[in-house]
Amino acid sequence: MYSDQHLRVSDAEREAVCARLAEHFAAGRLDQAEFDDRVGRAMSAKTRADLRGLFADLPETGAPAVPELPRGGGGTPGDGPRGPGSPIEFRLDAASGVPTYLQLVHQVEHALRLGYLTLGDQLPKVRDVVASLAINPNTVLKAYKELETKGLTAGRPGQGTFIQATLGQVALPELAGLRKSLLGWLGTADAAGLDQDGIVALFTSALRDFYKRRGGTAERRGAAGGGTEDVA
Amino acid sequence: MTMNIIETSGLGKRYGSTWALRECTLAIPAGHVAALVGPNGAGKTTLLNLAVGLADPSAGGVTVLGDKPAGSPAALDGIAFVAQDTPLYKNLSAADMLHLTRNLNRRFDQRYAESRLGELGIPLNRKAGKLSGGQQAQLALTLALGRRPRLLVLDEPVAMLDPVARHDFMATVLTAAADDGVSVLLSSHVLAELERVADYLILLSLGRVQVAGEVDGLLACHRLLTGPAAEADRYTERPVVHARRGQAQAHLLVRAGADDPVPPGWETHPVDLEELVMAYLREPGAAALPGPARGRALPPETGEPSEVTR
Repeated sequence: MYSDQHLRVSDAEREAVCARLAEHFAAGRLDQAEFDDRVGRAMSAKTRADLRGLFADLPETGAPAVPELPRGGGGTPGDGPRGPGSPIEFRLDAASGVPTYLQLVHQVEHALRLGYLTLGDQLPKVRDVVASLAINPNTVLKAYKELETKGLTAGRPGQGTFIQATLGQVALPELAGLRKSLLGWLGTADAAGLDQDGIVALFTSALRDFYKRRGGTAERRGAAGGGTEDVA
Repeated sequence: MTMNIIETSGLGKRYGSTWALRECTLAIPAGHVAALVGPNGAGKTTLLNLAVGLADPSAGGVTVLGDKPAGSPAALDGIAFVAQDTPLYKNLSAADMLHLTRNLNRRFDQRYAESRLGELGIPLNRKAGKLSGGQQAQLALTLALGRRPRLLVLDEPVAMLDPVARHDFMATVLTAAADDGVSVLLSSHVLAELERVADYLILLSLGRVQVAGEVDGLLACHRLLTGPAAEADRYTERPVVHARRGQAQAHLLVRAGADDPVPPGWETHPVDLEELVMAYLREPGAAALPGPARGRALPPETGEPSEVTR
């Protein structure tokens, strides 16, 4: 009873202590410096005795062992319910040479492939994109229209634009097989003396020829300009 | 049917014996953010002053907002103008500037103006001259937008601003375009930013209109061809706007679409707006004006703002 002070503390205990400190910090009872200092002491604590005193001047909180994460912070994409607004934020690459509206289209497609966007998710509102990127509203409308034409999104009057289809994904085992055969080809190309740029150039030009012969299949599948990503 | 926000025909302005602007015929449809570019002394400010009614034409005419004569009371009510260097009364506070603007205009949205200044963190009691450059520009812009114009005219609005202030200023302008459908005409030297901002381009050179049209349409009917310098002179399929050549290699900026034939051995690339403007600025003799033969390679929906914005 009186002798638990020399017991070694576990990581779980340290974290629980930090969570309680965070609560005091959030309530304004600790300033940033005090909070940092006490968290540092808690994380380096070896015995119960080291933890003693961290709360001596603070009222009891009864904090849960695990602090609640702030909304919108952390979490993997596609994980749990989402708040209002859009899960994605656009950015522009002025040096890419890709027209602004296409950059927006590509970013939505990319977010769909990576799971940042799923069925029913909302795209950023036009005026919000305009305000954050300082771009022409017609550019955003053009991008959204293009996504709608591709069947990926649908506009709901008065509400916004929402994802209504995902990109045709190739099943994982098939993807692994394709990757394996591509790696084999890369080995052959490397052995033949092609460097990385040469391989990319050859691949790009072969890809272009392939789809030219097939008559724009890449466009139909909504993978325009992103064809390489399906294989990589 | 869209009206023309500005229409000029044979418009000219002479100062003494010098024509600052001549034979200017233009029709800018509503719903665009139009950029007016050109070298110093090309007549940009003259054209803007004529459009807002601060100067009278020496030749031709100009109407705004459909068919209203520039400078008429009906025209003035619907147009807001921010002149070069965003002039303000430096000794008046922001609140005084609001008071003044409200009383000098038939219409002024005080609530909008005050809430915008609040969002921007511009103190109402601070003298205009004591505000930062970015804040002064935003104050002038707020006074202009508070009048709830249908056309906003800006003369070199961002020339003096740092990158962040420039971004925030343009974001305010474009948000007004998105929210309220305000048409915008702005003159600018900052070519790199035009492509994001403008969807209509007017290029003035030596007092004349050299290029005018929707940006998408202009980009779609220009290509950059790269090939052997020795063959550059033999390319006659389409008009060459500007040629740059080295000993072996030449770049031709031509008026051609993506589907136009390319000579064997030549590469073809799309052009961006900056390249296109630079090419025309270097060739004051070349012109690309809207006319019956003007190609529209892109689908027609590109220009019009749809209901979604409203």
